[in-house]
Amino acid sequence: MSTLASRRLVLLGLAVALCVSAAWSLTVGTIALPLQTIVAAIIDFDGSREHLIAATVRFPRLLAGLIAGSAFAVAGAIMQAVTNNPLASPGILGINAGAALAIVVALSVVDGGAAGVYVWCAFAGAAAAAIVVYAVGSAGRGGATPLKLALAGAILSAFVGSLTTAILIFDTASLDVVRVWSIGSVEGRSLATIMAIAPYGLVGLAGALLLRGQIATLSLGPEIAAQLGQNLAVWRLAAAAIVVLLAGGAVALTGPIGFVGLFVPHAARLIVGTDYRWIIPASALGGAFVVVFCDALLRAVLPDRDVPVGIAMALIGAPFFIHLARSRTARRPL
Amino acid sequence: MMAFVVLAASIAALFGASVAIGDEPIAIAEIARVLLGEGDPVASFIVEEVRLPRAILAVLVGAALGTGGAIAQAVMRNPLAEPGILGINGGAALAALIVIVEIESPPARLLPLAAFAGALITAAAIYALAWNDGTSSLRIILVGLGLNALAGAGVGFISAFGDVTTVQQAQVWLAGSLYRADWETVRVLAVWLVLPVVGVLLAARELDVLTLGADAARALGQRVEPTSAAMILAMALISAAAVAAAGLIGFVGLIAPHLARRIGGRRSRHVLPLAALSGAALVLAADLVGRLALSPANLPAGIVTTLIGAPFFALLLWRRRDAV
Repeated sequence: MSTLASRRLVLLGLAVALCVSAAWSLTVGTIALPLQTIVAAIIDFDGSREHLIAATVRFPRLLAGLIAGSAFAVAGAIMQAVTNNPLASPGILGINAGAALAIVVALSVVDGGAAGVYVWCAFAGAAAAAIVVYAVGSAGRGGATPLKLALAGAILSAFVGSLTTAILIFDTASLDVVRVWSIGSVEGRSLATIMAIAPYGLVGLAGALLLRGQIATLSLGPEIAAQLGQNLAVWRLAAAAIVVLLAGGAVALTGPIGFVGLFVPHAARLIVGTDYRWIIPASALGGAFVVVFCDALLRAVLPDRDVPVGIAMALIGAPFFIHLARSRTARRPL
Repeated sequence: MMAFVVLAASIAALFGASVAIGDEPIAIAEIARVLLGEGDPVASFIVEEVRLPRAILAVLVGAALGTGGAIAQAVMRNPLAEPGILGINGGAALAALIVIVEIESPPARLLPLAAFAGALITAAAIYALAWNDGTSSLRIILVGLGLNALAGAGVGFISAFGDVTTVQQAQVWLAGSLYRADWETVRVLAVWLVLPVVGVLLAARELDVLTLGADAARALGQRVEPTSAAMILAMALISAAAVAAAGLIGFVGLIAPHLARRIGGRRSRHVLPLAALSGAALVLAADLVGRLALSPANLPAGIVTTLIGAPFFALLLWRRRDAV
């Protein structure tokens, strides 16, 4: 699994799987659309009901899943690399919760603002959460141990969750909008919203891919990275900025889809090895694939109940987290 | 001894304030007349049917959360363990939420049963999953965090599909509120609490032995596994009863035992009752703050305790930064 050719093959396989599930996700739903109709809607839009569904419901939903899935997964991969911490991810460390709170505050203060405004609130919330969790979790002799970071993330999520609930109790109008959004859902995003947010996510993804070499060096640990002549402060800051861009943008788009950022990078590491130059592109493809595939699967299995994809991710991801906690604490202290 | 008196006095003061203060302030003299059966009908109704059950429920819930937290910290041998962080309250809340949303007008007695089942399943799952050639408190906390997330996903699933009005009510309950307090809830909670609390108090010495660690406890002749299993069962019972009565009031189970240890030392014989009293004072105060802070709106007590408790937890984590 370590040769260049086989790694390229893996990425190719992931890309193919992503394309197949993307095509499938366009066809399934309350009304099944055959692939020919989808293709016709792209090249020769005739305004019929089927074409309208494809253009205004299915495509935005697919785009939201693609962007959010890769953004969360790549953000998680970068966090795991930079903190040297197998439990790091935007969900566990409270960054998603921070972004979510900022958006709920924005929703209740300025009614019906543009998506472009919310995304900046999400960035601010994500950045603030990242700073607080890292400050609390990295103090002390052991530095940022996984346990301290995970606990700091959990309490920040609890704190922020309470604030969010308090706001929603007084603002019942927002509750109905927010309750599905706050679990993470790719349903009902308008194309305008996606177009407003997508650039930030794409910039973040491009940045992560460009800097994958520096991130791989960071993942070797501070001592080795410094010996290799890397300016730690600069590249850590750059990595943090990319994480905020990715996680904040994805939360603004779909709400916090937890656990994608945790288990996709681990799965990628199992397949392509420990080199982050390969883990990051594999996570980008894998995250998009998992979210799009699960969303399509939920629609195919439960067509009359629109299950938010965030729930399916938590149902897969939480047992994975437990497994990780079990296996990683057996041999060496975290 | 002094500490007991101070705590009891502050509970009495908070209790009095809780009954006296509200949209319709009632003087202490009037409350006394009501209790003697001579007050005017409006004041009697407010005191007897609204404020008194609410204040008593706050005391009972707080005492339960404090005791549950003290047991958890002793059994897990970790001052950061708390039924809330470990997901035990989350499991209870999920089971109770299923009953609230899926069954129309559930009887009050069913709620604690469901919550207990949820808490017990979570506690058993934590113990089983964290077992790997013996337990470590690190694994227990991490597994608990994972189960808490799982329960949270379950709650999200139910809330997303339930009827909007039911969900909205459930949301307030989940946030940890005492606003639905009535005598029936108080009775059910009291009945559920008596047996496990008395049992744990009688076995306080066993809890101390357990705190020394499995090997030391075994050397002292304790049968470690059955004892810790019984303690966890009691903790699940107590936490579940509190969750069923008032929803998720977070961080009281963490803060109350800390206060208790600071006041009364390490021995469970002292810590348990002090934790119960501190918990009662905390929940009474949180409920009062929640009622007054944004009056006339009512902020659930659980939100107040979390907003205070989370920074407190961060402080603890900071203080123990070299240990974890």
